[in-house]
Amino acid sequence: MVGSPVLFVAIPLLAAFIIPLTGMMWKNSVRVIPGLVLAFMFFLSISLMGYVNEHGTIVEVLAGWKPPIGINLVFSPFTGFLTTLMTFLGFIVWLYSYKFKRNVDFEPSMKYFMLLMLLVTGSVGIVLTGDIFNMFVFIEIVSISGYGLTSFYTRRDSAEAAFKFLFMGAIASTFLLIAIMIIYSQLGTLNIADIAEKMPMMDHKLKVLSLVFFILAIGVEAEIFPLNGWAPDVYTEAPGPIGAAFAGIVVKAAIYASVRLVYTMYDFSGAFDLFIIIGLITFIMAETTALRQDRLKRMLAYSSIGQMGLVMIAFGIGTKEGVYAALFLMFNHAIIKSLLFFSGSYLVFNKKNKYIKHVNGMGKYLPITSVLFTIGAFAIIGLPPFAGFWSKLAILTAAADNKMVVLIAVILIISILEAVYYLRVVNRIYFYDKKEKTEPKKPSLNALVAMISLGVIVLVIGFYPDLISGILDRAAADLLDKGNYIKDVLTLNK
Amino acid sequence: MKKVIVLISLGILGFYLIDIFLGIGFGVQHFTAGVKDLYLSNSKDTLKVSNVVTAIVVNFRGFDTLGEVTVLFLASTALGGILYKKRHHVGERSVLFPASRVVMSGAKLLFPSIVLLGAYVFIHGHLSPGGGFQGGTIIATGFLLMLLTYRNYSVSHNRLVYFESLAGILFVSIGLVGYFSKGSFLENVLPVGNMNELFSGGVIGIIYIAVGFKVAAELTGIIYTVLHEKD
Amino acid sequence: MEKYLNILNIAIYGSAVLLMLIGLYGALTKKSLIKIVLGLSILDSGVHLLMIAIGYLKDGTAPIFSPGNEDKMNIMVDPIPQALVLTAIVIGFGVTAVALSLVIRLYRHHNTLRIDEIKKLKW
Repeated sequence: MVGSPVLFVAIPLLAAFIIPLTGMMWKNSVRVIPGLVLAFMFFLSISLMGYVNEHGTIVEVLAGWKPPIGINLVFSPFTGFLTTLMTFLGFIVWLYSYKFKRNVDFEPSMKYFMLLMLLVTGSVGIVLTGDIFNMFVFIEIVSISGYGLTSFYTRRDSAEAAFKFLFMGAIASTFLLIAIMIIYSQLGTLNIADIAEKMPMMDHKLKVLSLVFFILAIGVEAEIFPLNGWAPDVYTEAPGPIGAAFAGIVVKAAIYASVRLVYTMYDFSGAFDLFIIIGLITFIMAETTALRQDRLKRMLAYSSIGQMGLVMIAFGIGTKEGVYAALFLMFNHAIIKSLLFFSGSYLVFNKKNKYIKHVNGMGKYLPITSVLFTIGAFAIIGLPPFAGFWSKLAILTAAADNKMVVLIAVILIISILEAVYYLRVVNRIYFYDKKEKTEPKKPSLNALVAMISLGVIVLVIGFYPDLISGILDRAAADLLDKGNYIKDVLTLNK
Repeated sequence: MKKVIVLISLGILGFYLIDIFLGIGFGVQHFTAGVKDLYLSNSKDTLKVSNVVTAIVVNFRGFDTLGEVTVLFLASTALGGILYKKRHHVGERSVLFPASRVVMSGAKLLFPSIVLLGAYVFIHGHLSPGGGFQGGTIIATGFLLMLLTYRNYSVSHNRLVYFESLAGILFVSIGLVGYFSKGSFLENVLPVGNMNELFSGGVIGIIYIAVGFKVAAELTGIIYTVLHEKD
Repeated sequence: MEKYLNILNIAIYGSAVLLMLIGLYGALTKKSLIKIVLGLSILDSGVHLLMIAIGYLKDGTAPIFSPGNEDKMNIMVDPIPQALVLTAIVIGFGVTAVALSLVIRLYRHHNTLRIDEIKKLKW
């Protein structure tokens, strides 16, 4: 084994504390060090994935105390898959924003990159930890860096968006504490595996109520329907790459948290139906709202919420095919939505309100960016040669296997809506004339590299979906095997 | 109308909360096989720490505390970023009522003892109620007192950054030393000593001192940034 | 004794829940940003009180092994909620600090603290 899961948290934190010191001596270090750390995290997760595939789940104890006394980190095929995805995206976001506008100023650029690094660290922590209170701490790390990053531009109305986010987040964190305390008061432990083992001892009413509090709290970050009021504003006002980071990293971590609760910790099946219902409402509401948006980033934000609804539906199906489809959707959404946010922010660069009409005729001025946006748009609709097709196919087959005809019909109808509003933008890019006089901004080299690598992944997965299906298969099997998770954590031979 | 909806939903929430927690009961042992006894006995026998809360915060669940320290660090970072202005004038603070001579001398007299009290609280965190967060907060109140009393009292920004970073680095390094020498992050590497003595509990005391410095520097930094906010 | 404990039961949990409800009410209905932040802090304190109350044990002592007290493990109150509350308080402090800095930024932009005059804050 090359490293161990705890380095995912220890190294970024060490770097975060060192950066203010090195920044005094060498100003560029505040930009370089976070990138190095994110690259390190990515390679670490790849090497650990290789180890896990051969030897099985790694359970790391902290402070030398075995669970349930101490906190433990779990690096299994499922959490490892998400960790790899998140750290990769974190690195790509760093690469894209390496030369971003205001980052030429020293103070803000230091804060931007530090907060970005800790946002990724917090999300990875949520995924790896095996303790619900520790999960709460990491959720707060993610939230606070999210507030800071959202209000990064002082000129825009970003403080309003951040305040909305903070308002929801603060209430959510109290609900999370209540849920944790209900569970603690009944079972006397905070370790997820220990709770899962003792769950049958708990009173049914308290079980349901604590799950409701959990879902209310985590739903804020997971953007499920009544709790996502913050999301469109945050995506609109935050810097472009941060929109990608939210869609690709933070939301994935929150979805992971809710899935871990329902699949591993709780033991009643009504929760799966709850997932399907929440997912359907979120999906329908978000996609119909996205149709009516006239701003590009807002449209992308609603589309992102809708995709998360689809992921919830797929998890709610509950079979192995369903989980497989959900993981594939998560992967695709993370890659494609980041590509759309990256290229989209160049298409409407320097425009005050970022309306969709600003992309008119950009195909001539920014050919590569436009092609990449088009690839992203086609892929997320689910057109055949691109990656999105396979994930849509997977969820439809999973639903068909369970005879959920209504579900299939709804997904297909809403997908048509999705196609309408994405193709509308693509149409504007290529077949409209440019009216504004402002010069379009050419993407810098590092941004171009980031976007092209995402575009290549979309194409490669589109042609060879088998490249990833093995990993997804193992991850899905790992999530569904609850007994194995409990055994791995609680019977540790160390 | 909005108030009615809010009141109704709050009523529902309140009803359920009261229902849950009255059902749980007050002052009774709720569970039979919890980790509470393990924490108590391990803290007494293995770690020799008399304040069990400190043992939990710093050692058993030390990873939480690292996250907690990071949250504070993030809060001060985010606060600096949010309040950032292009040309940041650090001028005189706007003071509504200038302090009288009595307050000035009193503050000068009190300041060293406040800092001493704070240091006492975080050094003895494993023996008595208290610890790094509490002690750091006490020290920060001392700086707040000075900043409020003297209009031109200033704290060197760079010095705060040094304290903050070095304390944080110390915390993570202790964790990494445990990881490399004993195989698990934050594991105790020092002899535990005897119960109820200053040198007991191994690394717990050192970590709490680092936390105390860090919290004091961070809170002072936050107060300083906000006090210098002018329109 | 039983009756006395029952009253205490209702009083502690009731006041904690009442604090939370007051905080939520303030956060949801007040128009001033400062009052909203205050409401969120009160909500936090309510939860912290609730958490501490869960760890209490009848006739319990503080979870500190002071000299001569080493064998009283059975009557010590639960130390874990206290440790958790310590973490939760610090996190609540961090959130409040960020919230107040956002309020300062909003005031700088709009010269007002009333949310009905800041258009973007309406949902």
